[in-house]
Amino acid sequence: MTPIEILATVFVVVGTFFGFVATVGIVRLPGLYARLHAASKSDTLGSVLSLAGIALVLGVTTESLKLVFLLVFLFVTSPTAAHAIARAAKEEGIEPIGEDARLGDEEGEP
Amino acid sequence: MAAEGEQDVLVPVGESETLRRSVTYAVERAHESATETGTLVTVHFVLPARWRTVQADPADVEAATSLLDRVLAWAREDIDELTAEDAPQTVVFESATVGTNEYVFSPGDFADVIAGYAATNGVRRIVVDPSFRPGGSAPILRSFETELADRGFDVLEAPVTRRTRRSLPFTDIGLPEFFVVFSASFLFYLALGGWHVTDPYELLTGVATAGVVTVTLASVALKGDVPNLRVVGYTVGRLAAYTPILLWEIAKANVSLAYVVLHPRLPIDPRMVEFDAAVWGDLPVTTLANSITLTPGTVTVDVSRRHFLVHALIPDAETDLLGGKLERLVRFVFYGRESARIASPRERLDDQQEGDS
Repeated sequence: MTPIEILATVFVVVGTFFGFVATVGIVRLPGLYARLHAASKSDTLGSVLSLAGIALVLGVTTESLKLVFLLVFLFVTSPTAAHAIARAAKEEGIEPIGEDARLGDEEGEP
Repeated sequence: MAAEGEQDVLVPVGESETLRRSVTYAVERAHESATETGTLVTVHFVLPARWRTVQADPADVEAATSLLDRVLAWAREDIDELTAEDAPQTVVFESATVGTNEYVFSPGDFADVIAGYAATNGVRRIVVDPSFRPGGSAPILRSFETELADRGFDVLEAPVTRRTRRSLPFTDIGLPEFFVVFSASFLFYLALGGWHVTDPYELLTGVATAGVVTVTLASVALKGDVPNLRVVGYTVGRLAAYTPILLWEIAKANVSLAYVVLHPRLPIDPRMVEFDAAVWGDLPVTTLANSITLTPGTVTVDVSRRHFLVHALIPDAETDLLGGKLERLVRFVFYGRESARIASPRERLDDQQEGDS
């Protein structure tokens, strides 16, 4: 294996790990907003790292250029999608879980 | 007899080809109601600023001042024509610039700014210049006139004749815009396909794709003013410096999230955090909102102009957020080094509470 291939493998493995974290997070975390954290962050990094790994193996070609575009678009669209979901949830009146006690405290402040 | 100020007129001012005619119309209406009711009528010329205090370009401020001066001169000319030499004064003029401290983006935002001024000065009637389109005229947004009428004002549209802009069927874009967007998307398509410029299949699908893109998106793609190339250059340079910092923050975010998610006891502390960010303009606000979503334990839930509602998942996230590191960086990218010195959200919040109590 060439050093590039080793680096690419590391990228893909770490990317897969974060994909795994995203999945576990969506299952384990309570409530819509908390799950969104897992879906928006780990998922983005997971797919971006995997794509970067593939781009490294392909070298400087049109294909890797397309991958780079894909990567940039993922970085822009994924948080935007998360934001859209969160906003829709808020407008539907879905309250975040685990905040009731704390909210009471803060309302007491000046 | 009408109460003082009842007949006052407000005219939103902006560079447009029919502005001269709209000024005359407003002055005529004001003069009419002044002679009818025998009161002194004020005409307010209000210019919604396109610059913000933090990034004021002297040229913009200069242009705004000279536009308002010109409008006042026109208005005086008009009133002199309407009234006799020694007749009592019927109409007085005021001019103002509004919105320098706000993030105004859509026609609704502009209407809010104008409505704020109108409320302060007790104005009920607004004369709009049909060619002046603050906030653009995107089909998904309601027009400036509708927004103003919704806020309870009497909106009069100045009857002006304007040159009809020739636009292509089914769209509101002109031929030059079509050409620019079409060639850009066509070239991009060919480049992605590997630049096979002799292959008829590539050319044909390219024309089809670029056509669809242009018809659906051209009116959005060329929205806004022509940017100043020097400013864009600096911004892109600073954006390049910002990217590695953001990537580092994203890496940290993911490691801490992975720790929380995989920890057996799931040590989370979810809560909503609200704050007003000191950034202005659609691009900076979008950048900040997306950066917040990508960095440690925070997801942007809602943004209305500068007000951010953020969901924080881990305990440190709120501290980081109000510490304002990201906000400072985004400000650095778009407005340069001086603006990075503005106080952090935490400090601003403290100041506000001191002021309230």
